[in-house]
Amino acid sequence: MISLTSPIRTKAHYWPASIKLGSLCIATALLFLIEDIWVLISVFTLVMLTYALPGKVFLLNGLRQLRMLWPFILIVGVWHVWIGSFVDGGVIVVRLVSAVALANLVTMTTKLSDMIDVISVILRPLHALGLKLKVVEIAIALVIRLTPVLVSKGSQLSDAWRARSERAPSWRIILPFIILALDDTDHVADALKARGGLES
Amino acid sequence: MEKNVALIALFAALIAALGLMPKLMLGFGVPITAQNLGVMLCGTILGSKRGAMSVLLFLLLVAVGLPLLSGGRGGLGLFVSPSAGFLIGWPVSAFVTGLIVEKWRGPSLAVVAGIASVIGGILVLYAFGIVGLSIALDKSLLETTGLVTAFVPGDFIKSVIAGMLTAALAKARPASVLSVS
Amino acid sequence: MKMERIEVRNAKTDLSGLSLEGVCFEVAGKQILGDLSLRTESARIGVVGRNGSGKSTLSRLIAGLINPSSGSISLNGISPAKDRKAALTEVGILFQNPDHQIIFPTVQEEIAFGLRQLGQTKDEAAQGTERTLARFGKSHWIDANVSTLSQGQKQLVCLMAISAMQPKTVILDEPLSGLDIPTGIQLRKYFSGYPGNLIHITHNPEDLREFDFALWLEGGRLVDSGNCDDVLMQYKAQMNKWGATDDISDLSD
Repeated sequence: MISLTSPIRTKAHYWPASIKLGSLCIATALLFLIEDIWVLISVFTLVMLTYALPGKVFLLNGLRQLRMLWPFILIVGVWHVWIGSFVDGGVIVVRLVSAVALANLVTMTTKLSDMIDVISVILRPLHALGLKLKVVEIAIALVIRLTPVLVSKGSQLSDAWRARSERAPSWRIILPFIILALDDTDHVADALKARGGLES
Repeated sequence: MEKNVALIALFAALIAALGLMPKLMLGFGVPITAQNLGVMLCGTILGSKRGAMSVLLFLLLVAVGLPLLSGGRGGLGLFVSPSAGFLIGWPVSAFVTGLIVEKWRGPSLAVVAGIASVIGGILVLYAFGIVGLSIALDKSLLETTGLVTAFVPGDFIKSVIAGMLTAALAKARPASVLSVS
Repeated sequence: MKMERIEVRNAKTDLSGLSLEGVCFEVAGKQILGDLSLRTESARIGVVGRNGSGKSTLSRLIAGLINPSSGSISLNGISPAKDRKAALTEVGILFQNPDHQIIFPTVQEEIAFGLRQLGQTKDEAAQGTERTLARFGKSHWIDANVSTLSQGQKQLVCLMAISAMQPKTVILDEPLSGLDIPTGIQLRKYFSGYPGNLIHITHNPEDLREFDFALWLEGGRLVDSGNCDDVLMQYKAQMNKWGATDDISDLSD
C-alpha cells in the first residue's frame, strides 16, 4: 500500500522523526494560542512557502491533502459572514488550515518505517501492561498486507452481485465479507504459529 | 494469542477495506460510507477490548501516514483537523458498543447490537466529535451539535444494519461472534 | 505465434452469437487486452491461456461487468455492459472461488436472489428456486446452510443461482481450479447438461473435451482461434515449451 510520504526528497526527509513530531506538537499548541489574524496569516504564508520549496508537484500534493477541509471552511465562512465578524472567522480558518498543513508536512516528509520507530518508543511504557513491541509490529505489517487482499475479495463479491443485479450492492454484501475476513484470521493465525508464534 | 492478534489486525484491515471500496447503497438508492459501520461491527462482533484495539490499530496506521480513511485520507493532519474528535472517539465508541453487547442479554442479538451501536456509535462518538469540532471551529457545544445533526439519521440506519449483520453472523457462524460467546 | 484476426461467420444473422470488435482494455495505463476481434456462434466456446493472459478480464467484459476501453462487444445483439437489464437474462458468470461469490447464508436465499433482482415477487422467486433445485436433482438442498457444504457443492449452488435466471450464455471463469478430480468431473457433467451456451475459461484443456470452438489468449492478445482440437494442440505444445524454460524468475514491473 502506498503511504502518504512524498516521493520527492526534501531535506526534512532526513531529519529525525521524533524531532519533527515534537516540533509539530509545540507548533500546534502555539498556533492555538495565537489570536491575532495577522500573525496567523504570516504563519500560514510561511507554511505555504515551505510547501513550495521542493517544487510545484510537492505543493500541489500538499494542497490536495488540504482539500478535505473545504466543508469546514465553508461552514465557518458562511457562519461568520452571517454574523458579520469576518476577522474572527478568518482567525479560525487560517489557524485550522495552518495546523493541518503543518501536520501533513510531517507526514509527507517522514518515511513509514521512521514513524513506526517513533511509535515503538512511545509505546515502550505500555510494556508494563503487557503490550509487546514485536506484537505491535507484526499487527501493523498484517494490516498493511491484508487490506488489499480484503479489498480484492470485496470487489469479487461485488462482481458476483452485479452479475445478477442491475443495482449496486447493498449492505447485505458485508456479511459474506466479514466471513471471508474471519476465515483469513484462521489462516493468518496458523501462519504465525508455524513461523514461531508470538509468545516468547 | 496469535488468534487474537490476527483477529484484531484483520478487523482493522476490514475497516480500511470498507473505506477503500465504493460506497454501498441502502435499499432506495442512498449511498452510505461503510467505514463507520465497520467500527460499530468491531464492537458488536469482537467485543469491547478487542474491538477497541482493532480501531486503535487502524488509527495508528492512519496516523503514520497510510491513506486508509474513506476518500483516501490519512496522515497526522487529520488528528488536528475538525474531525479529530470523531477519530479519537472511534475506539471509545467501539469499546462502549462491545461492552453493551457483552453485558446485556437482551431480547435478541439484532436489537442488543443495534442499540449498542446507537449508544456507542452515535451518543458516545458524537460526544467526542462535537467537543473536538467545537474547539476547532471555536463554536459553542450547542451550535456544534446543531451542525452535526444532519449525520445522525445516516448513522442511525448504520446502527440498525450493524445489529442485523451481527445477528446474521451469529446465525451463520455462531462461534465467531466473540462478544456473546 | 500467429497474431491475426480470425472471423468465423455463419449464415445466420449477424445479431446472434458472440462478437468482439477491436476490444481493448487498459487500467492505470497498463494494457490488459489489446485489439481483440472475433465472431462466432458456437454453443460451446473454450478460452485458454496462461495465468495473466487476460482470460478473466475477457470473461468480465463479456459478462458486462466492465466496459472495454475501446472497441465493442456484442452478445446476441446486446451490449452486455451498456444494457445491464437485458444482460441479466442473456449472460451469467460463474467465478473460480465460490466463497467469493455466495452472498447469502442459505441455499434458498442465494438462488432466489437473482430472481428477486429480475423483479419477481417473493413467491415467484421461491417457486423458481424450487424448480431450479429440482432441475438439478437437488430439491433436498432447499433448507441447507451454505456453511455446511463442500467446495464442490458450493460451486454447484453458484451454478444453480445463475441457472435460475436462465441466461442464454453462461461464462465459466475457471470454476474447477480449486476442486479435486472427482468433484471436477462431476461438475463438468452439470456444465455439459446446461441447455444454453457455454464459454469455459480454463488453463486445463481437459475441461474442453466436447467443445467445438476455442480461442487462445497470451499477453492480452488473441494468438489463435478456431476449431477447438486444433487450437488446443497448438496451445499444449507451447505450454510444454514454456515449461522447459525458467521465466518464473522474471519479475514483472
